[in-house]
Amino acid sequence: MQTNKASRRLVAELALRDFAHERVMSACFVFSLSAVLLPLLVLFGLKFGIIGNLLEPLKEDPRYRQIQPAGSGRYGPDWFDAMAARSDVAFIVPRTRAIAATMRLRAPDGGSGRIISVELIPSATGDPVLQGLEPPSDFDAVVLSLDAADKLGVASGDAVEGILSRTLDGEQQTELLPLTVSAVAPAAAFARDGMFVSRDLLVAVEDFRDGRAVPALGWGGRAAVDGPRFFAGFRLYARSIDDVAGLRSGLMDQGIDVRSRLADIELVQALDRNLGIVFWVIAGVAAVGYGLAFGSSVWANVDRKRREFSLLRLTGFRTGAIVWFPILQAMLTGLLGWLIACLVFFVVQAGLNTLFADTVGGGDSVCRLLPVHFLIALVLTLAAAGIAAASGGHRLARLEPSLALRAA
Amino acid sequence: MVKRYEAGGMSFHLDVPQLDVRRGAKIALVGESGSGKSTLLELLAMILRPTGCGVFTFSPASQRESRQSHDSHDIAAVWQSVDMDRLSDLRSRHIGYVLQAGGLLPYLSVHDNINLSRRLLEGPGEDVAAHWAAKLNIAAQLGKKPAALSVGQQQRVAIARALAHEPTVLIADEPTAAVDPMNAGRIMDLMVGLVDDLGVTLIVASHAHELMRRAGLDLIEHRIVASDAESMRVTVDSANE
Repeated sequence: MQTNKASRRLVAELALRDFAHERVMSACFVFSLSAVLLPLLVLFGLKFGIIGNLLEPLKEDPRYRQIQPAGSGRYGPDWFDAMAARSDVAFIVPRTRAIAATMRLRAPDGGSGRIISVELIPSATGDPVLQGLEPPSDFDAVVLSLDAADKLGVASGDAVEGILSRTLDGEQQTELLPLTVSAVAPAAAFARDGMFVSRDLLVAVEDFRDGRAVPALGWGGRAAVDGPRFFAGFRLYARSIDDVAGLRSGLMDQGIDVRSRLADIELVQALDRNLGIVFWVIAGVAAVGYGLAFGSSVWANVDRKRREFSLLRLTGFRTGAIVWFPILQAMLTGLLGWLIACLVFFVVQAGLNTLFADTVGGGDSVCRLLPVHFLIALVLTLAAAGIAAASGGHRLARLEPSLALRAA
Repeated sequence: MVKRYEAGGMSFHLDVPQLDVRRGAKIALVGESGSGKSTLLELLAMILRPTGCGVFTFSPASQRESRQSHDSHDIAAVWQSVDMDRLSDLRSRHIGYVLQAGGLLPYLSVHDNINLSRRLLEGPGEDVAAHWAAKLNIAAQLGKKPAALSVGQQQRVAIARALAHEPTVLIADEPTAAVDPMNAGRIMDLMVGLVDDLGVTLIVASHAHELMRRAGLDLIEHRIVASDAESMRVTVDSANE
């Protein structure tokens, strides 16, 4: 007795052999599918490539994620704890008053012999601009900006000496602070003469400038103030560029006036959105048109082959098995059409990227797709083929077999 | 059994008060073109739904099961139900069908066309195409596609295909109408010879009385009871013969 599985396999074999037998017709269907799919792939590849090129620097450059206070405020430990706990905050450290956050530096032995004044930048583990360099720690290890390291003529591992001066009770006081350069930051991290220091060192410098004692470094002065310490500012980085807007408005709501690169981000995001809309409108229209064309061709094919289908029924094939015939052929058409579209896409992509190689930066491609995009294209194509074939199968199931036989 | 249908402004009424076909019988339904021979064959092949049906019993005793089972199927009841797969299964097992012409799948070789009905029934297995091709004198055509064959050769392939799964009943609708008279006689003799060897029941529809009689078939006439411009009424009754 025929089993569903065996007869379905036999129908599958027949469908494939018919597909091969009518290879010219089959090729027409395959190419017409590719002809619709290919422009969509190229269009989406362009959208993805161009937007990717615009977004990449924004995503990679931490400066786009930085939110800076516009003026000076008074931020306590509770506020910093609350901010650090937010999921949209990647990094936050307190910052002292700008006037207090400077130090003169010299290389004690060797080096250029120059004395330069550097801005102090509070840092810690996970500082986005240091990009994985060993962060400054304690009162000793610091990270110099590239400019500062060049001027001093020092490199990673060298010793430098900090010179701090204050006038306390009419008396000029100077302290020398031995430091070790644990790393030199890349040029993009800080464009001026700067030194990344630990929070403790920054606080010590502020205390010294304010005339207070720093017992940890053996510096004398007035007694330290009791109670929680408040800071004038902060260094804050959002987790991603998409978090900048929310974080910014959150701070504004707290009454903190901030500056950010939100406008730049929003420009690219708006471009992404608008190009996306254009793409989906074109893709939607093309998909509907293609679906109708594919569906009607499957329908017409079922009609053309109704005699053969009737013959299969007369031989004793069940209707449930015969409907696999058009479905399988449609799937095969979809698969081959997708394959050809993908192959031609790579050619077009190579051509476009060569053509626009001068316009975009080196290594960037103006048109590109990820493997997952090809996979999505395949799934959508097969889904469309399946729907089209189902309509054909429905038609097939309703054919009156005997009338088809006599229409010879 | 009754089948009514309308086509091209004509209403057609086929009435079958009684039609008994014994196992192993060889009968020919004869009558003019348009007298419902093909319709009756399709009804008998369980592919066409009758308009009304009192009793339609199919009691096959296939070659392989003749000793153990004499199963009987109430086809009238199956048409009432929706279990069309049961009819498909009966067809695939018991019926071999030869069409007037073009009853072959164009994308399969002669070899595969012959094997098709048997493969549906039993899956891949014994290759019987060569055996049947030899019996029907088409061994040289096995590798060809049907389009490369003459009509006479195509009909031989169709007969081989219809017999390859060793059915209980061979139904042939004007199997020789498309070939020349010389060939027609030879094909009929070949078919009857094979049917006799296998003990298969043969039902042929034809308008060629003489050919059928010469081949040794019992004739059953499609009688046109009433016919005018709008309608035709035909009766087939084996009790009359």
